[in-house]
This record gives sequence, C-alpha cells and structure tokens, in this order.
Amino acid sequence: MTAERAAGESYFDWAARLFDPAALAVKPEALRGLRVLDISVIIFGPATADFLGELGAEVIKVEMPGGGDVTRILGHAGCFWKNVSVAFFPQNHSKYHVGIDMHHADGQALIRKLAARSDILVENFKPGTTETKWGLGYRQLREVNPRLIYVANTGFGQWGPFAEGRASYDGLAQAVSGLTAISGFPGALPTKVGNYLGDWFGACMSAMGALAALRWRDRTGEGQFVEMAQCEGLLRALDWTWLYAGLTGRDRPRTGNRDPIHVPSGIFRCRDGYVAVVAGADGEFRGLAAALDRPALADEARFRTAAARRAPAHADALDLLIAAWCAGLERAEVAAAARAHGFAAAPVMDGGDQYRDAHFRARGSVWELDDPVYGRVVDYGPAPKLSATPARHKWAGKPVGWHNHQVLKGVLGLTDVEIADLERRGVVGRWADRRGAKPPDEWKGTPPVL
Amino acid sequence: MSGPLAWSEWLREAEDPARASEQPEALDDLLVLDCSVAHYGGHVLAGFLGELGAEVVKLEPPGGDPARAWGPADASADGEGLAFLAEGRNRAYATLDLEHPEGAALFRQLAARADVLIESFPAGQMDASGLGYRQLELLNPRLVYVALSTHGQFGPRARETGPEYDLIDQALSGLAFLTGEPGDDRPEAVPTRVGSWISAYAQAGWAGMATLAALHWRQTSGQGQLIDVSGAEALMRYLEYTLLLYHTAGDVRQRMGIYDLAVSVYTFVPVKDGWAFIAGYTDPNFGAICRIMGRPELTQDPRFRTTLDRTQPANRTALREEIARWSVTYTASEILAKVLADPGPGVVVFGPVNQPTRTLAEEHWWVRGCLGRLEDPIYGPLTLALPAWRMTRTPPRLKVACRPVGYHNGHVYAKYFGFGPERLAELRARGII
Repeated sequence: MTAERAAGESYFDWAARLFDPAALAVKPEALRGLRVLDISVIIFGPATADFLGELGAEVIKVEMPGGGDVTRILGHAGCFWKNVSVAFFPQNHSKYHVGIDMHHADGQALIRKLAARSDILVENFKPGTTETKWGLGYRQLREVNPRLIYVANTGFGQWGPFAEGRASYDGLAQAVSGLTAISGFPGALPTKVGNYLGDWFGACMSAMGALAALRWRDRTGEGQFVEMAQCEGLLRALDWTWLYAGLTGRDRPRTGNRDPIHVPSGIFRCRDGYVAVVAGADGEFRGLAAALDRPALADEARFRTAAARRAPAHADALDLLIAAWCAGLERAEVAAAARAHGFAAAPVMDGGDQYRDAHFRARGSVWELDDPVYGRVVDYGPAPKLSATPARHKWAGKPVGWHNHQVLKGVLGLTDVEIADLERRGVVGRWADRRGAKPPDEWKGTPPVL
Repeated sequence: MSGPLAWSEWLREAEDPARASEQPEALDDLLVLDCSVAHYGGHVLAGFLGELGAEVVKLEPPGGDPARAWGPADASADGEGLAFLAEGRNRAYATLDLEHPEGAALFRQLAARADVLIESFPAGQMDASGLGYRQLELLNPRLVYVALSTHGQFGPRARETGPEYDLIDQALSGLAFLTGEPGDDRPEAVPTRVGSWISAYAQAGWAGMATLAALHWRQTSGQGQLIDVSGAEALMRYLEYTLLLYHTAGDVRQRMGIYDLAVSVYTFVPVKDGWAFIAGYTDPNFGAICRIMGRPELTQDPRFRTTLDRTQPANRTALREEIARWSVTYTASEILAKVLADPGPGVVVFGPVNQPTRTLAEEHWWVRGCLGRLEDPIYGPLTLALPAWRMTRTPPRLKVACRPVGYHNGHVYAKYFGFGPERLAELRARGII
C-alpha cells in the first residue's frame, strides 16, 4: 500500500479500491458468529434484526406456522409478486425462517432452547406479553442465558402512564412526538411522513443500543435488557424543538420546504420533476446569485448575510427568483449549475430514479440479489459502508418455515423423528397454501433439508 | 421465576433513569475524536456515543464550529444557536487548527490513541492534508474512522463534494418525494420536507451502529477500518418497498398525503382542539372504531366491509369523512378516554397531533426520562430530549449539555499531552489552539 501511495494513487481511486464490491466475498463480517433470535412482527422488530443481519449476524426469524408475519399479506393494496407481498422483503433479508407456535408449551420450550444459544433476542410485543403469556420474558430467559441481550421495541415503552393499555402505530408516534406538528406547510393538513419513519429510525436506534450492550458484554460477559420506543425515538430526533419550546413557551413554526436555518432553500419544480436547492453560506449564496444571472443580489443588504436572508420577506423574494429559474430547467441542469457555482442542489428522487442511478448501484445502496427462489431481486442495500467488514445481503425473505431443518436440526440437534412429531402436533410447521406465505407457483424445488 | 414484582414495576426499578449513576456505562473505555465541522450528523453521532459513556473530545477550529450559530433567529442561550446546543452534550470541547503543521502533529498523536474518529470534511480533504484514514491507519491500525457526507467516499458522485445539507439528503433519499399531499393542484401538493433534520439523525444512527459493529470485530481482529455513511442513503434505507415496487411492477410509489397506501383507517382527523391520528384497519379494530363512534352499522356498509374495501381510494375518503364528522365534536382527550374505556374486541390506536408544548405537558416522557430540564451554569434553564434507549445494566445518560469553544482545553491538553498553562498560552498565541 505504501508503494501505491508513493506512486500517487488518488484518494478516490484508493477509496474505490478499498470499498470494491468485487472483494466482498473475501472480506469477513463484523458480527460473524453472533446469533439473533427474532421473534418480532411487522417492521420495528424485524428491521432491528435485519440491520444486525446486514452486519453479519445469523438471524433466526420465528413465525407462526401457516400464515407467518402479518407483513406477508399487507402492503401495496394486496400486490403480490411471486406470491410475496413486497412489503415483507425490506426488513427480512438473509434470515433463517422457522415456523414455531409460541402459544404452544412445546413451542415455548423450543424458543427457550434457541434463546439459550443466542446472543441477542428481538421482540416487539405489547409490554409484558412475552413474560406473562409465553414464559419467554427477559426475567425468564436470563435464567437460561445470562449473557443474553434482550431487545424490546414498543410504541410508548414498557412502563409509564402511556405504556399500559395504549396501542401505537407509526402514525401515532409521528403525531404524539411532535414531529407532525413541525412538518409541512402552515395552514395545510397535517403532514404524514411518507414512510413508517418511527419504525425504521427506531429500529436503527434499537440495533445501535443492542450493539452498545454487546460491547459491554464483550468487556464483562454480562447481558442486559434494552428497550426502544417508537415515540421516544422520534422525540429524540427533533433537534432544537424542545429547547425552543422550553425557552420561549412557543411551538416552533412549520416552514414547509424551507430549511429553518439554511436559507435560501426549498424544493422547486423543474421541467422534469422537482429539485432541492440550498445556499446557506455566504459563498454559496454568491454562487447561486451568479447561477441566477443576478450576481448583484449577493451585495444587496437584504441578502448579504445569512441572518438577513432568513428574514421571511427576503427569503420569500429569493424563493420566487429560484422557482422561476428552475421552472425552465431540467433537474440535472440545476444540479450541474450548483456544482459549477458552488451551492447545493439535488433531484427529488423517486423509486425509479433510484433504481436507475449508477451511483447508488456502485455503492450497493441499491442492491441486486440473485436469489435461489425468487431470481433477480433489487432492493435497498445496507446503508453504512464498512471497508474491512462490508455489510451485505445474501438472500431474500423466504416462505414460512423455510429453514425449519437448518434451525431445528442444525442448531438444536433435533432428530427427524422429533421434528416430524412436532410437525404433526402443529408446534412447528411451514407455510399454508396461501399467497404471502408460500413459495412462487413456478418454483418446483423443496426447501433445504439437512 | 419472575419474582414478586410485576414486570412493569420490576423494569421501572431496573431502568430508573434517576439512578443511572449507580450503574456502569457501556462505552466508557473508548476515546472518540469528533472533528466534524458545520455538520449536524457528526454532532449528533458524537452525542449518541457520549450518552452511552464514551469519552468524546470535540476538536473545533480555534474560531469555533460555524454550527454554533445554527438555531432559530428569535431564541438562543448565551448566544449559542439552539440547534448546536440541542446536541452538544457529553463531550470535552477543545480547539485545534488542523491546517497548522503543529496542529496536525498534535492531531496525529491524539488519533494514534483514539478508538473512533468522526469527520465530515469534503471527501478526500483529510487525506490531502495527510490526516486521512490511509495515513492514520499506519499510526493506529485499530482506529475506526467514520467519514460522513452526502455522496460518500466512493462511487460516481463521490467527487461532488460540498457541504451536507439535510434538505439535499431528504431529496436524494426519496423520502421527500413520498411525503406530502398528492397531485399538484395546491401550493402544498409537492414533495415535502420532514420538519426536523431527520437525515442527520438517521446518519448518526447508522454510523453509531456500524461503529459499534466495527469495535466488536476489532475485539477479535485487532483491526480498525473506514466507515462511510451518506445522510441520503441513511434515510433511503428506510423507504420500505419503494424500490421493490418499481422492480416487480414498474410502479413509482407516490405520495399519499394523510392516507396510507396499504391500510385504512390510518389517518389524521380533525378534533375540537386540533388534529388527531386514528387507526384501526383489521376487521375487529375497525369494528372498535365504529363502536366507539356509536355507528356499529358502518361495519356492514358495503364500502367498508373488508380491509380491501376500506382501502379503495373513494371509500377511504368517504370513511375518513364519516369519522371526521364525529371526531370534530370532541377534544382529543375526550376521544382518547373513550378509546381506553372500550372493552373490545379490537383495539383503536388514537392520539392527538401534539404541538411540542403539549408533548412537554405530558407526564409520560418526564417519568421515563425522555425529556429533562436542567439548570446549566452557563446556558441557564434548558429543556432537552434525553437518551432514547433504556438499558438495565448500562443506562445511557446526559452529563453536560454543551460548553463554549475551547472550554476544556486545559483538561484535554493536560490529559493527553501534559501541557500546562504556559504551553497552552503559547499554542493559543500562535493560533494552534
């Protein structure tokens, strides 16, 4: 490497080589050897386990035999592809799918055995459910595995005035956290964020919390209970909202698409879609003024400093100029002008834009799998890029109970006779003959057996 | 086996935020250097790691981080921008001019001992100064080096360096496209920004997760690495089936305004004192909404009979109007009381669209230690969001909200270099610190 640097390898060539996706297979995984037992449902819990799986943990996803996780049938108004709801895949990559009925005492015994052999457990049931209903709560499982990191995700937390009897969905978390109130345009309808943000950001934080607990365990051998709540995650992500309300007694105003601090800024219509533009610093604004072919703007008193530009009347005046300029251009032309003049602009991308984007493909942020059952699957890839231990996707989600043999035999060492008996009694099982749960119609193979 | 206390009581005691200081911290063996400048994702990440116990040293340019000026125009605390103050927690504030050769030398010595380094300069800038991962890994092969940017360190757009802005990241991520009112008949029917700097939080979450995974791997390998996190990609990974819908059906996922694509009822409705969120989309849960409204016959209306019926756009709108006519005659609290009193079957999810001041008035967040008020000796009374995690063995905690530029120079330079007042005065006079 020293010789190459001496030869003057540019930073970008070096970085491209360091992160070369072609080297993926020979690089190790950060969380190799860790087992995550995912007994959760829908998005918040499964995504937490999925993120740990991207980083190399082995994830065992437990589902009810037959129908499995409810996201298998939710989604785009019942849109199925090869018998899968597309809503199921994004939080269920590279997992081992096992069908175990946790309502059954023998099913609970299997979970207990798996938990004894796992490093992290993820659940997102109502507070107390795993303990009182199934005997699988933290207090019970730590008896069989004191090293276990037990991760519990909820809407409002495990205890406290809102924790009992109050159900939550992502939309509610957006509403009660204050996020809805600070988003969107004054006077308009409340703004529902277009994805299940509380679930996804919460899952991200939950996985981070699990890994902080893992670091503690690496140091001491001690496991612990970690909880993350949808509402509390969003509440933590509202920057200066609380300071402002505490100091002034007022609610911060909604400012639509204008960044509350970096002005001018906004989302503007182009000939082929929308573009986001920001020119917060003085030098950037000078560049924008040049791009608008109005360089003298940067010397006007009302626009000369960031503070002056932020006055609403001044910002409104700039928005009109930028809007008029963008209206005659394509998104790529605005972005090119921003590069040339030193301010920030980017297209407002939709799913099709991202699918076709060479940059996201090269970075594995748009990830193409060649799945043994589903063939070519294109989905969002892992977000963080790790040079020595790159995160990755290995296969797409699978039908209910697909990996029963790998898990029951490969991990727990059950015999074929024992497995057949559990199947006969409905304790373990595979998919029901219904869309969302079963393999594609055209698929003629059998699930892997050991 | 589960003991005499009910679960919630036991856990409340085990997690009691007021007793965090009796417990150890998960990351208190780590030294983190935060060199991010004018970058909110780096600022938040340093705080996350600090909340979990890491020793974080922020190295600011001697003139101060320009982000200190970030905040609303009509409020600040001792001149500090509220955005900076909100996330400036749990770190030592030192100054160091990385562009000065002696400053760079001091930086190398610190980096040689650090576990984690956070930076947000344009891709390649640290490398060009001889302070990038390529150079520092030779001094410290165990270093986990975290680089934050919009486009990342590699890929066709990596050379498009420039400041990272939340709005740009929201646009590239696809989240802006999906948020807001559909159509284009009203000024607000456009792709819409999420109100907070959400990309910075997403970026900090991913970077924190990746850093801790890298530290776990270092435990066995002894090797550090470079971690590259884009704020745009950080949010993009949260977009569910947006890409799969395009891949499998060629459909571009569109904005849904106040509705959900997959389920109904799942929307906002007016109430006497503002707005509220209400959901109940499975048959039993929808039945519960109708029962609470005193309109059980709605479950038999052919437009609303099944989940699929209720999700058809015209029916979805009609159903929301039915609910709105009822909801607007009650306050959010009155409806919540009805929801909580309903015996079932089915569960209704309901709550007010809280203005921040209303969230601050709810006891739940204070009891759980999500929100806190502290009297800071420099900044005065501060209302802050506290750490998001509850942990029984290593609870995260807030120690110090923020400090002015160079506040901890004496401590940091004594601890890591043995410099006293004389040497510091000299370095200060020469503009190095």
